[in-house]
Amino acid sequence: MVKRCYVVVAIMLGVLLAGCAGKGNRGEVTLHLSNWGGADDDPVYARKIDGLYRQFERENPGIRLEIESVPDEYVQKMILSFVAGTAPDVLSLDASSAGVFINNGVLQDLSPLAAGDPTFKASDYWANVLAIDQRGKALYAVPGDFTPLVLYYNKKLFDRAHVPYPSGVWTFQQFLEVARKLTLRDSSGRVIQYGYNFTNWMPGWIVWLWNNGGDVLTPDGGRAKGALDSPQNVASITFLRDLVLKEKVSPDLSQTAATGVDPFGNGQTAMEISGHWELTSFKTAPKLKLSDVGVAQAPTNLPKGRTVMYEVGFAIPKQARHPKESWKLIKYLTGHLYQQAYQQTGIAVCGRKDVANERATDPREQQFLNLVPTARGPWGAQVVGYDFVEQEGKKMMERVLAGTDPKQALSEMADRIDSYFKVR
Amino acid sequence: MMRRGKLGYLFIAPATFHLVVFAIFPMVFSIFLSFYKWNLLTSERSFNGLSNYVYAFKDPLFWNALWNSTKYAALSVPLGMIAGLAVALLVNQKLRGVTIFRTLFYIPAISSGVAISILWIYIYMPETGLINSVLGMLHINNKTDFLKNESLAMFALVFMSIWVGLGPKMVLFLSGLIGIPPSLYEAAELDGAGKFRSFWSVTLPMLIPTTFFVLITSTIGALQVFTPVYIMTQGGPNEKTDVVGYHIYVEAWSKFLIGIASAKSFVLLLVIVLVSILQFRILRNQLEGYSTT
Repeated sequence: MVKRCYVVVAIMLGVLLAGCAGKGNRGEVTLHLSNWGGADDDPVYARKIDGLYRQFERENPGIRLEIESVPDEYVQKMILSFVAGTAPDVLSLDASSAGVFINNGVLQDLSPLAAGDPTFKASDYWANVLAIDQRGKALYAVPGDFTPLVLYYNKKLFDRAHVPYPSGVWTFQQFLEVARKLTLRDSSGRVIQYGYNFTNWMPGWIVWLWNNGGDVLTPDGGRAKGALDSPQNVASITFLRDLVLKEKVSPDLSQTAATGVDPFGNGQTAMEISGHWELTSFKTAPKLKLSDVGVAQAPTNLPKGRTVMYEVGFAIPKQARHPKESWKLIKYLTGHLYQQAYQQTGIAVCGRKDVANERATDPREQQFLNLVPTARGPWGAQVVGYDFVEQEGKKMMERVLAGTDPKQALSEMADRIDSYFKVR
Repeated sequence: MMRRGKLGYLFIAPATFHLVVFAIFPMVFSIFLSFYKWNLLTSERSFNGLSNYVYAFKDPLFWNALWNSTKYAALSVPLGMIAGLAVALLVNQKLRGVTIFRTLFYIPAISSGVAISILWIYIYMPETGLINSVLGMLHINNKTDFLKNESLAMFALVFMSIWVGLGPKMVLFLSGLIGIPPSLYEAAELDGAGKFRSFWSVTLPMLIPTTFFVLITSTIGALQVFTPVYIMTQGGPNEKTDVVGYHIYVEAWSKFLIGIASAKSFVLLLVIVLVSILQFRILRNQLEGYSTT
């Protein structure tokens, strides 16, 4: 009886420990690739991509590929994997949080690998996209895909109001006049259609700061005071507030929440600012035809427009044990075959110019490509803890929409960020 | 005898293993972390002495979070206990199908906290949410955005917590109710006590040990609340629902201030221990005369 119990406990401990132990046949290398792809991915597409992973294994005998999908809390889990010494062999690196990994020195500089590989050409990529994960000459990730943020407009609603489509550089004031014309009210004065759909999402509304000559941090990324509280930003935030509260050309946030749907996709707002991924949701939007969607640049008070771009690259952790094989995988993931298949999801613009250009026959896609030179990577690729800044941005905007003076709100936000940067 | 004793250790081995690896070790490790400045990723970490604790006590947002947690606990614990006891009394009736109700009331407790939080986001939505839809049908103002309203968001979280915590509290009170000897009620009835009198003089006093247990566990739970805040309000609006659990999470995982977050965790632990001791002290006298085994 007692003996049997020992056996049971031994088995239980064995099972527990087996979970922690390594595996793999001798001579075979297992590469772990991390990403945040969720279970909700399109199954047809998922099968196709899985087929491409298997093809990589066939082309590279002796390498097995395992995908680690972490749909939630990706950055946190990856940090802990570095602490535990179980970082993946190839890490999908989101530009929004790339600074955390690059600045802490846990990623390999890929430039020696790239220099030793005649098939790698920096000219395959846009210089400013590549720059997101560069520090001087050091390269910490190869771009997989990216998207500049653009202004989407509903052509049908513009036609109906006899307003010409936005094209080229246009100012905040011109935008406001267009938004007014596209805001329609019924006989009782109730708004039935809004000109613009403002969402309190700092990664999106940062383009309004940039296009008025403002920024969030000082150029070295070290401080918020002296940048965030600039008169330009006060003007931008006031402008956004007025769109919602004074001009009422944008629904307020609780109205958007109340509908539970994207008002642009529902044909209830004429313009919004977002990324390429939005096109995939427009495809299934109830009251919007994809052919009615136009792509333009965000309004700007500068001689030339600016926008932000969000990028995903592939990186190799310093602790990765098979850098050569990892590099092979990165080359495959950024190669023509894989990129072409990935592009079909429509989530983003492909990192490789040649693949991205294949789609440029579509005027919408062409417009995205036109905007690439004006785009800049997010602060999160440069500084550690930018996630906190963006959370504070959301709170600041909430306060402003609840009545706090923009100047005061921005100044308080800058103080909070700086006191955090001091102890960071 | 020896052999039997050893066998006992074997039985508790898996649970102990789990406790040591997933609870005690992390706790000890975070004591260590609380004295260091370290963001986990770099190899360089510097001994910081007590300065993480000093920082915590000087941080007005930490005080705000402590205050919010206190408010949350002070509201959700008593209201939750009253609701739990009320439901326990209801499902303690000798009715057909009463077990179905017991099961129904327990369902929220076994559902995922994230799923429940998302469900309640829909319940609290302006205009189209469940509450506002009903208000709209009654032609009452239905535009209140409960989770974005500075004075209502905390109450919204508390109200939801009552619903979620109902099941476990009901079960505990129910077991307490079932444990009351029927002879006491009979004696009360002979003495001429009515329904209310026997509830006041028999049921409530006999439930004191249960109440004591429910009070302490739910206070600890309330001070540690995290999931609904993380999903529903992210501490907003204007930090009005920024409770300690969420505040510490942001310190650690948005700001990567691991040392400061660890120090704040221990301040929270200290608060919980102090509150529990206080509750013990106050209620200990009440417990005299009850068998605590």
